Amino acid sequence: MMLDRLKSLDLILLASVLGLLSIGLLAIYSTSQSGGDTNYFASQLKWIFLGVGIMVVAAFLPNRLYYEISYPLYGLSLILLVVVLFWGTAGYGATRWIRLGGFGFQPSEFAKITTVLALARFLSDERWEINRPKNFAVASLIIALPFLLIAKQPDLGTGLVFIVLALPIFYWVGLNTVSLVLIVAPAVVFIAAFNLYAFAVVIVLILAFLYYTRMPLLRSAGYMVFTVSLWFIRSFFWNQLKDYQKQRITTFWNPEADPLGSGYQIIQSKVAIGSGGLLGKGFLQGSQTQLRFLPEQHTDFIFAVIGEEFGFLGVLLTLAIFTVLLVRIVHASNMYRSEFSSVIGIGIATIIGFHMFVNVGMTIGLAPVTGLPLPFISYGGSALLSNLLMIGFLLNFYRHRYEY
Amino acid sequence: MNNINFSAGNPRKYVYYGLIAACMLVLSIGFYHLQIMQESIYRGKSEKNSVKKVTQIPVRGHIYDRNWGTFHITDSVLDSLMEDGVPYQARLRLEKIKQKIFPTEESFLDTLRKTIGNNLTQRHRPALLKYAQIGKLIVDNRPSFSLYLVPALTTRPALEALGAILEVAPEQISKNFRRSRRFQPVKIARYVTLETLVKLQENRLQFPGLEWKVEPKRNYYFRSSFAHVLGTLGEIGENELSQSEEYEAGDVVGKKGIEKGLDKELRGQKGFKFVKVDALGRTVEDLSPRENALPHPGKDLFLTIDARLQQYADSLFGDRNGAFVAVDPRNGEILTMVSKPDYDLNLFAEAVKPEVWQELMSDSLKPLYDRATQATYPPGSTYKMVAAIAGLNEGIITPQWTIFCPGYYRIGRRTVHCWNAAGHGEVNITAAIRGSCNVFFYQLGLKLGIEQWTKYSRIFQFGKPCGIELTSEKAGLVPSRAYYDRIYGKGKWTNGMLANIAIGQGELLVTPLQMAQFAMILANSGRYYRPHLTRKLVDKIPAYQVTEEALKQLEFQNAPQEILNLLRGLKERQFTQNELSELLETRVTAEEGQKYEPSILEYARKIFPPPDRVSYPAEMIEGIQPEVFEIIREGMRQVVAGGTGWRAGVWQKSGAGKTGTAQNPHGDSHAWFIGFTPFEEPEIAVAVIFENGGSGSGVAAPVVGQYLQRYYYYKGEFDYQKYREFQRMLWEKQKEKARQDSLQGAGIQLEPLNIRSGN
Repeated sequence: MMLDRLKSLDLILLASVLGLLSIGLLAIYSTSQSGGDTNYFASQLKWIFLGVGIMVVAAFLPNRLYYEISYPLYGLSLILLVVVLFWGTAGYGATRWIRLGGFGFQPSEFAKITTVLALARFLSDERWEINRPKNFAVASLIIALPFLLIAKQPDLGTGLVFIVLALPIFYWVGLNTVSLVLIVAPAVVFIAAFNLYAFAVVIVLILAFLYYTRMPLLRSAGYMVFTVSLWFIRSFFWNQLKDYQKQRITTFWNPEADPLGSGYQIIQSKVAIGSGGLLGKGFLQGSQTQLRFLPEQHTDFIFAVIGEEFGFLGVLLTLAIFTVLLVRIVHASNMYRSEFSSVIGIGIATIIGFHMFVNVGMTIGLAPVTGLPLPFISYGGSALLSNLLMIGFLLNFYRHRYEY
Repeated sequence: MNNINFSAGNPRKYVYYGLIAACMLVLSIGFYHLQIMQESIYRGKSEKNSVKKVTQIPVRGHIYDRNWGTFHITDSVLDSLMEDGVPYQARLRLEKIKQKIFPTEESFLDTLRKTIGNNLTQRHRPALLKYAQIGKLIVDNRPSFSLYLVPALTTRPALEALGAILEVAPEQISKNFRRSRRFQPVKIARYVTLETLVKLQENRLQFPGLEWKVEPKRNYYFRSSFAHVLGTLGEIGENELSQSEEYEAGDVVGKKGIEKGLDKELRGQKGFKFVKVDALGRTVEDLSPRENALPHPGKDLFLTIDARLQQYADSLFGDRNGAFVAVDPRNGEILTMVSKPDYDLNLFAEAVKPEVWQELMSDSLKPLYDRATQATYPPGSTYKMVAAIAGLNEGIITPQWTIFCPGYYRIGRRTVHCWNAAGHGEVNITAAIRGSCNVFFYQLGLKLGIEQWTKYSRIFQFGKPCGIELTSEKAGLVPSRAYYDRIYGKGKWTNGMLANIAIGQGELLVTPLQMAQFAMILANSGRYYRPHLTRKLVDKIPAYQVTEEALKQLEFQNAPQEILNLLRGLKERQFTQNELSELLETRVTAEEGQKYEPSILEYARKIFPPPDRVSYPAEMIEGIQPEVFEIIREGMRQVVAGGTGWRAGVWQKSGAGKTGTAQNPHGDSHAWFIGFTPFEEPEIAVAVIFENGGSGSGVAAPVVGQYLQRYYYYKGEFDYQKYREFQRMLWEKQKEKARQDSLQGAGIQLEPLNIRSGN
C-alpha cells in the first residue's frame, strides 16, 4: 500500500528537489559555522521537515479540490495583500510581513501560488480563449491586481515574478506568436531606452516586424507611437522608484561605482565565486564565506558560498539539478490531460525558473540585486514552504495525470 | 495553432525546453568565465584585496563628581601657585577672593582677569584651573592592549609558546575558540602589558594568526570610596548579549553599580571602518577613510556625589561596617553614598586574578555587596515615625494622647521592655519620639492594627525599590496580614508581632537608601524626588535638535526670517555643534549672498542646548494632613535638640532626626540614625547604619554630626576654629558652675548639650 503510493509519485521530480534541499543545507551549514547568534542550519532543517510535511499532504489531497478553491484562495490572497499594506511589519524599508501568533509570513509568497491557480482555472475554460482581446484583458487583470499591490509594498523583485508569469502561461494556452512579439517588444524597448543607439536598433527591428506581418497601417502607426513614447515614460518610471531600487539598478550596470556601498555585495560575491575555481576551496574552507565578507550569505547570496567552496563543478551540478527539475515539470505539464493542471505546471516552472535565474545571475553580476531567494537552497521559511507546497501540487497532478 | 489539444501533448513544449537550455547556458558561461578564465584574478583578490568592515570600539565616558567645573581659591591653591611662579603681588590680590565659590569656568576666569589682570591670568590659566578646581575626576581611561588569534592558523606548539609568554595554560587560550569561526580573530587576552606585547612582537613569526588592538581600560582616581557607586566592568555574558542588538561577544560592559545601570550612556556607539585584509583576515591597510563611521564616544557622567563628602564619610567609618546615604531633599540628588567594607576598584580594572576573586568572594564581610542599596536591615526606632503618622492621620490617637511608660509592657503572657528600664513616665507623641519610648509605640501599634501599619509603610515607599540607577537595588520587606498568614498560618500569629514591627523590629526590612528617602519625605513634609546619582550626562559630541519650541523662542526674539526658514527645514534632525554651525554658515551665505554676524549663529546654536541635565519631577505623599507632618517634625527636632540624637546636631544650625538601635539575631544591635538639616528649609537628609555597631544615639548620631559639620564647612557656613573656641568657653563655664554647685554641696546632673561633644 505504502509502496504503491510511493510509486505513484513523480520520483524524478522528488529526487531533484531533495537534491537541491541537501545542497542548500550544506551551504547553510557552512555559513553558520560560527559563533553567530542564530543557528540557521537547525532552523532551516525544521522548516524543511515542516515543508515536506505540507508537500506530502498537498500531494494526496483530492485533485478536484484545487480547482474548486482556486478563486476563493485568490480573493483571500488579495485581501491579505491589502492587509499587509496597512498593518504589515516592516523590514528593509518595505512592509511585506504579517505576524500571526509567533511567526510571520509574506502574503506575496502566498499570492504567487493563488494567482497561478486562478489564472489556470480561468484559462482552462474553453469559453475564455486567450486570443480574444477581452479574455486577454481579464487574464492580464488577474495578474495585474496582485502585482500592483506588491509593487506598492514595495517589493520590486517579487512583483516582477508576476509580470514574468504572464507570457509563458499565455503562450502555453495558445497565444499567437505575433501577439507574443507585440507584447514582448515594449519591454525590450523599455530596457533599451537606457541607451539611445540600442533604442534606435530596437525600433527599427519592430518596424521590420510590423512590415513582415502586414499589419494594417493605422494599427502599426498606433503601436509605433506607443513604443516610441516609452522613451519619455521611462524617466517618469525611474523617478517613481525608491532610492534603494534605483541604486540596485545603477549598481547592476556598474558595481565598481560604489564598491563599499551597494556594489560591495556583488564585488564580494564575484570574488568569492571567482576564487573558487574549478574544484572549489573545499567544504568549510571558503575564506570569503568563513570570514563573512558576504552580507546575506545564507539567504540571497547563498550561491556564492556554493561557488566558492565547491567550485565550477559544484555550480554545474546544482544548475544541472535545476535543469532536470524544470524540464521535468514542463515535461509533466505536457503529460497532464487536465488543462488546469497543465497551466499550473507551467506557472510553477516559471516561478522556480525565474527565481533561480535571477538569483544565480545576481551572484555573478548578470542580473540586478533584487532580493529573490534561490528556491530550495536559500535560508528562509516562507519561501521554502511555498516552494514545497508547489511541488506538492505537481506530485498531486502527476498522480492524476490521466484524468481530465 | 490556437486550439491546442492538451490530452495529446503541447507541441510548444520545445520552446520551453529551449528557453531553459538557453538560461542554463548563459549562467554556465558566466560561471565558466568567472571561475575558470578569471580564476587567478579573483583568487588574487580574495587573497590580498578583500575589503572588510571592522568595528571600532568607542571610548567609554569619564566620570566626574558634582563639583567638576566649579572653582575656589584656597590657601593650598595659593601655595601651589607661588611654586609655579605666580608673583607675590598677585597672591595678595588673590587673597581677596579666597574661598569664594565660582560656579563656572567663565565666571572664575572673569574674576581672575579683574583681580590679577589679563596677562597673568592667561599665563597661569592651566595651573589656576587645575589647583582651584573643587570637583574631582573619578574615572577616566588608559590605553591597554588586547590580543586576538585566528584559530585556523594556530598550532599546538604556537599555543604552548604563547601560553608561556602570557603565563597561562594553553587550554585557557584555546578555550576561547569554542564558539567562534575558524577564520575569525578571537580575543584571547586583554589588558596585556606593553612589555608582553613587545615580547610577542619580537617572536611574531612564531604566531602567524596573532593580532593586537588598543582597547581602553578604566583608570580609577579613588581607590575604594566609590567602589559600590561605580561598580566594575567585565566581559559581556550570555544573557546580557541577548538584551541589546548593540552588544557583541567580547564586549566590555558594566557589571555592577552605575557602570551597569548607565552602561548604554557610558559605552557610546561603535563605529566601523573599511580595511583591506588578507585571506587570513589580517588587516593590510585602512581604506577610504571617507566611508568610515567614527565611533561615538560614551557620554561623560557627572555624579550628584560630592567627592569631598564621600571621602570624608568613608573615613568616618574606620574599620566599622555599614552604609551612609545623604540626599538633597530639594531634588533627590545623592551627595554621599558609602558602603563599608568596600574593595579596591583597581583590582577590577584588569581581568581579576582568580585568587583575588576567591578571597573577595569568601570574605565573610562580603565587601562586594553594596550595603546602601542591596542590604536590608530592620530599621529599629527610626521607623517609629511611620506608626506615629498613621496613628495621627487616621485619628486613632491625638497629639494629646498619653500613656505611662514604666519601662516595660505586658502583651499577653510576655513582657517586653523599653530601652530605658527606668521608664519614660507620662509621654505624648512628641515626647515619645524625642525619648524613643518603646512602650508608647507598642501600644500605638496594637491600636493601629496590621492593615493600617502596612498601608502607611507602603505610602512611604517601603517595600519597593527607590528606582536609583543601580540595577541590583533591593525592595526590602513590608510584612502584611497576608504575609504573616503565609509564614505562620492563619490565626497562628499574635498581636505581639504588631507591637514589634511598630518599633521597627521583626520581619520588617529596609535598605539604607530607603531610609534616606524616608528622611527626605519627612524633611519636605511629604514631597520627594527619586534619589539619583546622575547629575548630568554630557555628550562629547553633543546633538542639537531644531524643535518646534526652539523655533518659537527664536521667532519671539526676532531672529532673521532667513535663519528661521532654514532652521524649519532642518526640523527634528540631529546635528553636532560643528555640523549645525557649518550648515548655517554655508547655507545662509550661499542663499542670501551675505554672511550673518557670527553672533547670530552663536545665538541660533545656543537655542538648542543638549539636554544633558538629569532631573526628576517632584512627587508627593498623598493623603496626609500637613499638621501631622508638623507634629512629627517637631518631635524629630527635639530628638536633635536635646533628645537621643543630640550628638547629630551642628553648632548654630537647626536640625531634626531620629536614632535607632535595631536588635538582630546576628549579633550586636545595628546603630541607625536618620535626619535632616536645617529644620526650616532642609537641604540635606541623611541615613546611616553601623552594622552591629551598638546604639544609634552613641554611635550613629555622632558620625552624622561630624559629617554635617563638614557639609556646612564646605558651604562656608561652619568654622571649626570658632566652634572650638566656643566649646572651650562653654566647658570653662560649666566647670565654674560645677565648682560653685559643689561649694553649695549639691551635685547636679548636666543636661545634654545641644552640640557635639569634644570627640
